Amino acid sequence: MEKVIIKSLLIGTFIITSSNAEVPTIIQNNCLACHTKQKIPSELIYRRYLLKYSTNEKIKESLFGYLKNPKKETSIMPKQFFLKFPEKAALDLNDTALSESIDVYLEYFDVKKKLVLP
Amino acid sequence: MLSSERRSFFRFFSIYLGSTFILFLLATFIFYDYQKYQIIEIQNTELNIEAERITQRLRQLNQTFTQELTYPYKNPFDSAIYNIDKEYIFGSFTPKNILWDKEYYQDENKLYHMHPLYPYYLGASHLIISKEINQEPIDNLLKMSILFLLIAGIFFTLLGLLLGRLFIAPMKESIERMNKFIEDTTHEFNTPISTILTNIELIDTVYDCEGKQELKRIEIASKTLSRLYEDLTYLKLNHNYHREIESISISNLLENRIEYFNTLIESKELKVTQQIEQGIVFDIDKNDAIRLIDNILSNAIKYNQKEGNLEIILNSKNFIVRNSGLGIRKEDINLIQNRFKRANTSEGGFGIGLDIISQVVERYNFKFTINSIYNKSTEVEILWKK
Repeated sequence: MEKVIIKSLLIGTFIITSSNAEVPTIIQNNCLACHTKQKIPSELIYRRYLLKYSTNEKIKESLFGYLKNPKKETSIMPKQFFLKFPEKAALDLNDTALSESIDVYLEYFDVKKKLVLP
Repeated sequence: MLSSERRSFFRFFSIYLGSTFILFLLATFIFYDYQKYQIIEIQNTELNIEAERITQRLRQLNQTFTQELTYPYKNPFDSAIYNIDKEYIFGSFTPKNILWDKEYYQDENKLYHMHPLYPYYLGASHLIISKEINQEPIDNLLKMSILFLLIAGIFFTLLGLLLGRLFIAPMKESIERMNKFIEDTTHEFNTPISTILTNIELIDTVYDCEGKQELKRIEIASKTLSRLYEDLTYLKLNHNYHREIESISISNLLENRIEYFNTLIESKELKVTQQIEQGIVFDIDKNDAIRLIDNILSNAIKYNQKEGNLEIILNSKNFIVRNSGLGIRKEDINLIQNRFKRANTSEGGFGIGLDIISQVVERYNFKFTINSIYNKSTEVEILWKK
């Protein structure tokens, strides 16, 4: 059942991210290029971070630490996730570029921009 | 009801009613406050239910995470979500002065409910929901409380009246018994005193006999008894005595009364100084005026030294009687105006003189003052102030 949910979420995310024409280049190059190729749902990951950390500052802190030294144990995703997807390799980016990429990533998915009143 | 009875009754009544009122006011306030708290609690529960609904919708939005997330706003509930750093994320309103550590609170006419969230759906850790307070049940409660106070007030006033009457009943009985005694005694005094005075006058006029000095003493004693009789009768009948208010020349009346006291003045060999302005007229009951003047003069003569001074001044402003007498101690001046209270017991009397003066002064809105230097002089002033 969990696999079915993950699959459908991945497909949904892929469609969304693929159809979005305004994806910033920095994310496209540093993140989505691999995520799209390996069908890894970047938006789902953002939501999981959001659920756990609430603020962009805390998400950034955690994400930065993970991307510098990615491990299954420190990942925001459940263990089952790694049955389907490969463990991430450390990013070949300097701290400034990585920090900038995370900022753009958080800005791109920012929930405040999505919310509207009925 | 006599004034002393009325005083006791009102004292009891005001203490009883005052304490009952304070007790009931306190009880009603506690009841009102508790019930109001319950009403607000119920309205807070409504907010809590709506907050749960919004939380479920946020959870769904967090799961779908579509390009556009429609915030679950529902009239009349305003709500807003905040992140863990208490920064505003989104909402249908932006509340000010948020009390983060309260489950719910009131601000002006709105009720605010704080709903913590975990996990942080859409990053929200706090949901604040608000709604206008429904004042109707609170207003109804207030009306009920006031009505209860009114009904309780009426009931306890009536009960107080009944208890008050029971409370003063023994005192009333004692006073009535005393009055009956005075009435009987004075009645028995009247005829012999009148007979004595008439016969002294007759002897003095018709017979040229020896022993004039002795006759004068008998006359003084008889007049003293006569005045006591008049005073006691006045006090007894005062509350139901029908007054005949007429224009009385106080100047003439004062001169007559000084003449009446002449025997007494001569016996004490007092040096009298009079400054009586003519034509001082007041609308007053004659008996009241006589009792007022007689008691002031009588006291000034009685409590004077032998061969002392007696100064009598009457004008349109005031009436002053000054003597060179025994004087009154400062601490006794207020006490002596009470009935049966006497500062000096060296002379005869019942101590009713100043009580009568006070009653007449109060009835006609005059002003009455006593200034005295102990062992030197006493000045009594009646100010004809309206």
